[in-house]
Amino acid sequence: MAIEDAPLDDKAKRMRDLLSSFYAPDPSVAAGSLPKGASLDAINTDSFDADQYMNLLVQRANLEGLLQKHVEMAAEIKNLDTDLQMLVYENYNKFISATDAIKRMKSNIVGMEANMEQLLDKIMSVQSRSDGVNNSLFGKREHIEKLHRTRNLLRKVQFIYDLPARLGKCIKAEAYADAVRFYTGAMPIFKAYGESSFQDCKRASEEAVVTITKNLQGKLFSDSESIQTRAEAAVLLKQLDFPVDGLKVRLFEKLEQSLGGLQVKIWDIADALEESNDEQENDLQLGFAVAHDASVHEFVESVRAYRVIFPDSESQLIKLSEDLITKHFLITEQHMKKRVSTATFLRVLRIIWDDVLLIDQVLPEALLHDYCFKVSQSAIKQYVSSMFSHLLDDVSGAMMKVHPQQNNVVEEQLQVALEAGKNSLLKGSMDLLLGFRQLLEDNLDLLVKLRELITDWVQAGFQQFFEALDTRFLLLSGRIKSSPQDQSLSEGLQSEKISSGLVLVLAQLCVFVEQTAIPRITEEIAASFSSSGARGYEHRPVFHPAEISRVFQSASEKFLHQYINMRTHRISVLLRKRFTTPNWIKHKEPREVHMFVDLFLQELEAVGSEVKQILSQGVRKHRRSESNGSTTSSLSNSLRDDKLRRSNTQRARSQLLETHLAKLFKQKVEIFTKVEFTRESVVTTIIKLGLKSLQEFVRLQTLNRSGFQQIQLDIQFLRTPLKELAEDEAAIDFLLDEVIVGASDRCLDPTPLEPPILDKLIHAKTAETKEQNSSVASPTSQ
Amino acid sequence: MQAGSSGVGYGLKYQARCISDVKADTDHTSFLAGTLSLREENEVHLIRLSADGTELICEGLFSHPNEIWDLRSCPFDQRIFTTVYSTGESYGAAVWQIPELYGQLNSPQLERVALLDAHVSKIKCVLWWPSGRNDKLVSIDEENLFLWSLDSSKKAAQVQSKESAGTMHYLSGGAWDPHDVNSIAATCESSVQFWDLRTMTKTSSIDVSHVRTIDYDTKKDHILVTAEDETGIHIWDLRKTKVPIRELPGHTHWTWAVACNPEYDGLILSGGTDSAVNLWLAPTGSRDEITSDSGQNSLTLKVDPLVNSYTDYEDSVYGLAWSSREPWIFASLSYDGRVVVESVKPYLSRK
Repeated sequence: MAIEDAPLDDKAKRMRDLLSSFYAPDPSVAAGSLPKGASLDAINTDSFDADQYMNLLVQRANLEGLLQKHVEMAAEIKNLDTDLQMLVYENYNKFISATDAIKRMKSNIVGMEANMEQLLDKIMSVQSRSDGVNNSLFGKREHIEKLHRTRNLLRKVQFIYDLPARLGKCIKAEAYADAVRFYTGAMPIFKAYGESSFQDCKRASEEAVVTITKNLQGKLFSDSESIQTRAEAAVLLKQLDFPVDGLKVRLFEKLEQSLGGLQVKIWDIADALEESNDEQENDLQLGFAVAHDASVHEFVESVRAYRVIFPDSESQLIKLSEDLITKHFLITEQHMKKRVSTATFLRVLRIIWDDVLLIDQVLPEALLHDYCFKVSQSAIKQYVSSMFSHLLDDVSGAMMKVHPQQNNVVEEQLQVALEAGKNSLLKGSMDLLLGFRQLLEDNLDLLVKLRELITDWVQAGFQQFFEALDTRFLLLSGRIKSSPQDQSLSEGLQSEKISSGLVLVLAQLCVFVEQTAIPRITEEIAASFSSSGARGYEHRPVFHPAEISRVFQSASEKFLHQYINMRTHRISVLLRKRFTTPNWIKHKEPREVHMFVDLFLQELEAVGSEVKQILSQGVRKHRRSESNGSTTSSLSNSLRDDKLRRSNTQRARSQLLETHLAKLFKQKVEIFTKVEFTRESVVTTIIKLGLKSLQEFVRLQTLNRSGFQQIQLDIQFLRTPLKELAEDEAAIDFLLDEVIVGASDRCLDPTPLEPPILDKLIHAKTAETKEQNSSVASPTSQ
Repeated sequence: MQAGSSGVGYGLKYQARCISDVKADTDHTSFLAGTLSLREENEVHLIRLSADGTELICEGLFSHPNEIWDLRSCPFDQRIFTTVYSTGESYGAAVWQIPELYGQLNSPQLERVALLDAHVSKIKCVLWWPSGRNDKLVSIDEENLFLWSLDSSKKAAQVQSKESAGTMHYLSGGAWDPHDVNSIAATCESSVQFWDLRTMTKTSSIDVSHVRTIDYDTKKDHILVTAEDETGIHIWDLRKTKVPIRELPGHTHWTWAVACNPEYDGLILSGGTDSAVNLWLAPTGSRDEITSDSGQNSLTLKVDPLVNSYTDYEDSVYGLAWSSREPWIFASLSYDGRVVVESVKPYLSRK
């Protein structure tokens, strides 16, 4: 078996090696040594070892298996042999055919060169022929081309000559688009030859085009045409090189015009609404509103059309619509100069807002919302401030009604003014708050968004209002000079002297503001205008009632002092005249009480009547002694006379000492106490200041005996009426005594009048005044 | 009262209106005060503040023939002063000299240097040349203004020029501008008039009525302070005479006297008939102060100009004088003849 195997094996291996060396990509593998295979499967590998294989086979298989293997192997070997033979044969076959082919090639290639040269010659001759043909045809071809061009030109000329007619047809058919296309097609030719050959033609077609343009313009402007056609017309016009911008401007102007109409209308509507509310004419109201709506819609429509017609016109339109809004608000502001109720204002705002919404639909790019917010902010702010300034004018108007009356103040006039002032202030501010609350509570988008701001404005408005009110009061009272812008207001004031009554009214009004108005307004504000907590600490409420209260408190005191000053000044003038005119050193004997006391008392009376109207009565705190007024006065009278007589007899030095001593023992009378807001306090203060002035005037004079006696008499007369008027009798007594002491100091011979004469003269005077009073009173009673 | 305790008091025998700082006395702080008594023998007191400032010493007591309505010490000779006096019916003015040997005499007579005897109506005041040695004097009566030239060696005074104020004006007082020696301010009923002494013509006026006293600010040019009966104190800038640059409320009753401190800017003293002396601090230099007249509010919001009120007086205060030697000291004279010397130092240090 082994013998059988070996030749086969050798042969196959050689064969395989040969083939694989020929075909295999890697000869080294084929020629490699044979590694020892360890399995039976390795029979087909390069590393097949026959001995090993045999050993393995013998070891593993039994006899039957071996036999079977043998049979199998023999069959395989036989197969392989036939395969091999076939391969060798085929190989050889191929080799033979290849050798044949090489042989044939060798014999074929010999005649090739000569053929090639022949071919070249032939090609050369073909080329020369073709050149000849080409040359002969060239002239003809050029001619043909020329003819062709001429034909085209002729066709164009034909077209141009036909153009007017064609345009005419188009116009008839309203096929403007075609007409424009034709015309623009012919345009270059007209441009080139229009001046010479085609003059007529050009003119005719231009005429046609003019008609077209006209028609197109008409189309563009007619509102009845659809937007589409109008837009097309615009495009065509543009193609015709027509100055579209001009058209645009004109159309735009038209828009603006319609806008103008719109603006004027808005307040008509508001006014109409106002009126119709009064008159219950709902039809009229409705009519106006409808008219406005219609015109707004019209505007909106035309804006839309315009946008379509001139697509690149947004910026202009935005400007236009912003203009509309601005003008709306401008007109609103103008109207605000007049008094405008909140309802009307609201209505107008609503109309404007509606307009904005409408326009916004057409022109979302304009961001009219935002713009409107911006503008309306200032408008509302202005509205708020204008309302406040109206209020301010109201209040000061009420004050201005107090005309300076010379001496006789018309009864109750001051009281009326005060009440009017109080009323207009309180009611006015309540109305304002009511109005502002309407603003706040309205659910208009615009206002809802501005709510926070409005709250702030109202608060700040009140703050400023009160500050302005304070300034206005000061202005009215003449304490500060008016600034130029308030000239109109103060013109009436500066020419005339400011009435003291007015100052008193102002003083009381300040008290009212401080005690009544501010608390109420604060309450109201806290109730409905408190700023929400969203804002931080840095935004404190802008209305500071405490500060305002303080301002008005000090103002009221100032005004009261001013009133007292004005009144005492008048008394001072009176006294100055009294004491500087006569020659006191050569005074004549007193015959009657000097008339200046009447004037003095008159002044006090005027004060009394003014004070009575304005100020409340205080708690009467007369420092009366147990006995009644008249007896005290006579008692003190005799005492004083006694003192004076003594001082006359003794040396004046001791008298002075005595007065000093008396002063030491007397409780120092507090002459200048704080003024209170009561009738008595004010009157008393004025009397005190008047008497003090009297004393000072006396001290500046040098008197003879008669002069001294005159003063003694006058003072004595004054004693009773003054004490009736004033609440602080002790101080009045003290001051009157001081006058007499001062007079005696300044007298060369201070001999007082005898009490009986004094009494007599005083009685005479009292009787006289009584008579006068009755005679004055009787005609009025009849 | 705190104010009362700090003052040093001195009593004149009689009622008195006028007190003057003796400017020429550079060694002591002294004042001259004259009494106003119609029926008694009037006196001029030379009062000196002791070195420690706790006592007022009477350095001299001189009898004066008539009651004294105005008294001014000579700025260059401590022994010379002027008075305006009244005999009840007539008025006179004279320049006096304190006698050399007054130490020995009990109640020495004053030597009369010159009699200013050209006046025919009520004399109001006599003004010395504001500073330095100059023999010029100005006297003002109700109707006229006189410029005198004083010759102390010949014991005579000559009228150099004279001008009538006009029939409608009754002059009541005046002040000599320390910055412009040719200018005099004279008060009359309805205005303050300014006179040029070279030409004796009226140059301008401020409309303000019933001025009692005027005083120039010696430190600052153009500043004039007026005290009026009812309307308090006004501070004027002479370049802008339409409106005062500052108003001070003054006193409860009339404001009678006013005096600017010779050293400290804006320190003003006022005496009133409400028996009080008020010390004000009202600087006029800064701009905002001047513009603040636009609103009373802004003024009240500022620091209260009233620094202190001395109220420990029994009667109206007519006489006020700052000491030029110790400018923080002032003397005040109330009608009852009481001289009180106070120091404003505590208030100065505070400011």
